[in-house]
Amino acid sequence: MTTFLTFTILGLVLGAVYAIAASGLVLTYNTSGIFNFAHGAQAMLGTFLYWQLTYGWGLPMWLSLIIVVGVVGPAMGAALHALIMKGLRDTADVTKIVVTVAILLGMLFLSQWIWHPEDARIMEMFFGAGAKVEFSGVVIRYHEIICLLAAAAIAVGLRVLFTRSRVGVVMRGAVDDPDLLRRCGHNPDRIAMLSWALGSTLAVLAGVLITPVGGGALEANALTLLVIDAFAAAMFGRLRSIPRTFAGAMVLGLAATYVAAYFPTDWTWAGNLRVSLPMIILFVVLIVLPQDRLRGAAIRTRERYRAPTVRKAVTSGAALVAGVFLLALLMDDTSITTFGLGMTFAIIALSLTVLTGYAGELNLAPLSFGAVATIVAFHFGITGTGLAARLTPWGVLLAVLVTAVVGGLVALPALRLRGLYLALATMAFGVFLSNMVLRDTTEHTLFGVTFSLFPNGTLIVPPLQVGPLDLRDGRTLLMTATVLFALIAIGLVALRNSGYGRRLAAMKDSPAASAMLGQNLVKLKFGVFMLSAAIAGLGGVLMASAGGSVAGDNFHIMASLSLVMLTVVGGIGYVSGALFGGLMSGVGFTIIIGTFNDLAAATPPMETIFKSLGHLAMVATALIGMGVGKNPSGMVHDLFESYRALRNARPVLIGGAAAQAVLYVLALTGVIGNWWFAVLTACLVMMLPVFGRMLAPTAVRETPLELVGVDEPYTPELRDRLDRELGLAPALGGDRHAVA
Amino acid sequence: MRDGTGAGSGAEEPAPLLELSGVRAAYGPIEVLHGVDLRVGPGKVVALLGPNGGGKSTTMKVCAGLLPVTGGELRFAGRRVNGVSAEDAARLGVCSIPEGRGIFPNLTVRENLWVATGTGARLRDVEEAAYSRFPILAERRDQLAGSLSGGQQQMLALSRALGTNPAVLLLDELSMGLAPMIVTQMYDTVAQLVAEGLSVLVAEQFARAVLPIADTAALMLNGRVVSAGAPAEIEDQLSSSYLGG
Repeated sequence: MTTFLTFTILGLVLGAVYAIAASGLVLTYNTSGIFNFAHGAQAMLGTFLYWQLTYGWGLPMWLSLIIVVGVVGPAMGAALHALIMKGLRDTADVTKIVVTVAILLGMLFLSQWIWHPEDARIMEMFFGAGAKVEFSGVVIRYHEIICLLAAAAIAVGLRVLFTRSRVGVVMRGAVDDPDLLRRCGHNPDRIAMLSWALGSTLAVLAGVLITPVGGGALEANALTLLVIDAFAAAMFGRLRSIPRTFAGAMVLGLAATYVAAYFPTDWTWAGNLRVSLPMIILFVVLIVLPQDRLRGAAIRTRERYRAPTVRKAVTSGAALVAGVFLLALLMDDTSITTFGLGMTFAIIALSLTVLTGYAGELNLAPLSFGAVATIVAFHFGITGTGLAARLTPWGVLLAVLVTAVVGGLVALPALRLRGLYLALATMAFGVFLSNMVLRDTTEHTLFGVTFSLFPNGTLIVPPLQVGPLDLRDGRTLLMTATVLFALIAIGLVALRNSGYGRRLAAMKDSPAASAMLGQNLVKLKFGVFMLSAAIAGLGGVLMASAGGSVAGDNFHIMASLSLVMLTVVGGIGYVSGALFGGLMSGVGFTIIIGTFNDLAAATPPMETIFKSLGHLAMVATALIGMGVGKNPSGMVHDLFESYRALRNARPVLIGGAAAQAVLYVLALTGVIGNWWFAVLTACLVMMLPVFGRMLAPTAVRETPLELVGVDEPYTPELRDRLDRELGLAPALGGDRHAVA
Repeated sequence: MRDGTGAGSGAEEPAPLLELSGVRAAYGPIEVLHGVDLRVGPGKVVALLGPNGGGKSTTMKVCAGLLPVTGGELRFAGRRVNGVSAEDAARLGVCSIPEGRGIFPNLTVRENLWVATGTGARLRDVEEAAYSRFPILAERRDQLAGSLSGGQQQMLALSRALGTNPAVLLLDELSMGLAPMIVTQMYDTVAQLVAEGLSVLVAEQFARAVLPIADTAALMLNGRVVSAGAPAEIEDQLSSSYLGG
């Protein structure tokens, strides 16, 4: 009985901290409509700062608590709102999610820069672990009492704020109709900033409280993800109700503690289960809770994508293959292998283009589907041993098919979810897979078969061999991956231009309208999820075999999130956005860090500067992600638009191509190094539209919109341009006349 | 002479509370108001009429401070206020009730009235004014506003004008989606407010509802006020302009 009470108290304490974190999340979501994935990262930053002040610089505990919770917490929230969140009005769910994910990653990089992750940092409980009281054998520490009291105070405080004060009532109105608040004489920005400051304070408080409860060791990744567990609690209240959020948090805390306490010790997976329990509960709660009905009105967002024609896609695909071939001639073998790895990531990113870009469904864990395929290929698709071991094409095919089925199975319960809820469900799946399957390294016996899903924590995946095509050679792998990427990309563009693609686009724009036109949304979602999972699976197997071996960490949720973020930065509606996102997340980071580490090694006096620059570059990558709020259609979109203006300025285009050819020949003959070639090429590509505007202003200039068609024939292109500027759906070629 | 809109007729006439002169406004690159002239004198009711897409709602948004002016001048009581924010406009005494339902569906009736006190009124006064005019709201004070009927929601929206003592009331499509009886009741309330000295600019697609209480009517087509004058004169032009004749 005493044991039970002890564990119950432990569970309640854990639940109390979850509740504090989750209520902050609910607060910001309800006032701004933004689900803050960076909530945990904010908690993490605040906790590290608290550690630095108290243990690093020896400030008194109460003073650092005032500084961190009273000053830095609110300031961080207010700054986030003023600099970033304010600009996220009228953007699609995916943009909002990606921006907060970018903040999460940026804060992680920042903390790893300031606080080296390999140093051990321990945080003690308030008043020390020894300060405790005892009731009939049950020991409660002062720190735990503080946690419980803080949670209770916050529950009451929020209740009073939201129902008994005008500013709280106005906060609740903010998300419904900020314009109406203005008409009533309130400033919605100030209200939102206040709520972000409050939410951030709650996050920081939760971080400071939970670290000693969870053992006391500070670890950036774990702390960031630990508060993500609070998502599950927030979901109990459907992101709206604070009391239900508190109840959910308690259930979560108790369940996690009881699993740890009462599961038999010989169930080796119980520890993994405990870690992933919040995610399982999140998944279940998402599925079980009643969902909003389909809303009738289409939400007009700022994202714009235009679908290229298949002919254009084929041309671009051929150009890509030729370009990669020419580039490969410049590179040494290691670079080629790295490049090949990046290309396999680009294939995984294509799964996002079709799912998110075309169909508007979200998947935050694309790499997890890659992991599923890799495990299947590892267990069933390898022939030969040692150096002669090869992946068979049948094995890869089986892996892709199984992944498609798994994708369908994950999607099946998630089919009724939309937007943010779907994103959270996929994330829950990803974290669950990381914790349960990819850590399943010990052997167990089931139905007489002894196996482990992820033996030794590393899978050695040999290269693929299809007839005479052997991918052991890096160059062959790179070219095969590129050709595969091009083929899938062309296929996707063709799909987008088909009736099926238009149905997907319709579902994305307005599920209600699409359902009313007789579309079977469930079938559409199911199909596109399976397709997307299959593509991710193929990319995952190739990625594993390109690297030679994979560990569970290769498929970590953070890696998935960074891939999603960079793909959105590139432009999630375009296959070229997938190319950008895949290459950047697959090898971009490696190259950036590698370059600066090489520089640091080469010039010892400058070592610290170059190392700092490397860290800065990582943080800057996340900054690009935050910039998505300003430019939600992606970088590729901007580049296309600037080149579209050059269409009539042929001399400029030819000049640019010639300059590029000269650069290439110079690089090939060794006159300039590869590094210079890359930098100059990037400059040329970026600057050409600018030169074009300077050199041939008449050809580049566009007619002001209101004068379109006045002194020139009214062509279909002009009509399309008007549609585009007015934010109407892109014209569908011949079909349009039938509609009009 | 009943003149709220036309050119100034004499030195003795007080400055209009709300005046637009040559106002232009745009959504992104597309200009939708091409120079609107309009004036609402103290204690007058100006009806803004015209078919869909004529620019009525955009004009209302400009007056409420929700859409910035790109050309011309917006004046409150003779003072140029181009670029005024909506919250400042509200504090200056411009009470604007938007198209559709100007309420927060997820707040209770009482909380809606509480939010309405953002311009400096006291909750008790607002509640008293609202409940005495619309007793049904008093019965439902703790009910979510979203669960009220359409007419009750519009009563709640209009209550903001009752208790906060504004100088100008902007009403956009008050009659939209309401039963004729409710519409009459609404406009009775508006007429009572006018009798107490409030100035009103009301945009309506269905002219019949508003013309009886209007001092002046203005007809908007394609982003311009094409004619303004006594309600009876404008009513005669309506059918031809609605039907494009």
